[in-house]
Amino acid sequence: MKDFIKSYLIELCCSYTIISVAGAFINMLAGTDTNNVNVIMMFIFCNIAVFVLSIHKFFEKLSPLAMIIIQYVVAVVMCTIAVLIATCFVGPVSPRGWFELFRSFTIPYVIGAALYYYRLWIEAGKQQDLLKEIQDLNEDKK
Amino acid sequence: MKINLFEDKKTTDEHIDIYFSEMRPVIKQVIDIVKSERPSLPGRPADEDLDDGEEIFLDPGDIYYFDHVERKLFAYTENGVYRLMTTLGSVEEQLSPYGFVRISKSNLVNIYKIKQLKPDINMKVYVSFDNGERICINRSYKKSFTEYLQKMRRMSR
Repeated sequence: MKDFIKSYLIELCCSYTIISVAGAFINMLAGTDTNNVNVIMMFIFCNIAVFVLSIHKFFEKLSPLAMIIIQYVVAVVMCTIAVLIATCFVGPVSPRGWFELFRSFTIPYVIGAALYYYRLWIEAGKQQDLLKEIQDLNEDKK
Repeated sequence: MKINLFEDKKTTDEHIDIYFSEMRPVIKQVIDIVKSERPSLPGRPADEDLDDGEEIFLDPGDIYYFDHVERKLFAYTENGVYRLMTTLGSVEEQLSPYGFVRISKSNLVNIYKIKQLKPDINMKVYVSFDNGERICINRSYKKSFTEYLQKMRRMSR
């Protein structure tokens, strides 16, 4: 548990730093500004993302596809709860706001899943090549 | 079969004499084992009672994979399934230099018997053998599997 918390905090610090610095650059380039609520929400979403990604080891017996879908559902539920709580302090979210929230969340997630699948194929291809080379070099052991 | 063992620490000429009335499979196996550089593993056919079946020595080169199920260890070969009275960990330690690598908590595979590695639609990577069987590579063992293949390639060159 101690190791889990330690690695969780390290990943949270790194991801939040990267996102907040990237956000600051985008704001500077676009000439826009942010506010305190956005900063807090960004931190909450970072927490959710790191937590959801860190629970992968509990789904060892499931296929990666099932794991990705479960993680997506957990993340969507947690983000929805976080936004619902936020509406108590900053006012309601418009229907368009909900749509934008899930779209901006789903698109990178699907891209990430597709990249994972692509990487899996590439890695399997490399392993297959390595295996073929070893088998060819040790033809007598087959 | 009677076995006589003689320990002589001074001897420089280690040798084995085999007396037999007829060349039976078990004699042939003993000869193969002595000639082979690979270690051999004692096992009994899995479908027979442990006390009944004749113990035979398995050549690791004939084994496709090991499966550890309900605290029992089985070796899968082209000719059948054999039960081994040892642990998967000790077999892994013994056979690691001969092409055997762990791909999950309960499976140790012979890389020389693998026909293909292929990812499935559910994003699991499967190992297919010459005999048509296939086993999934567990995510936790993916990295160590690749590292093992790289090590074996370096050793083979």
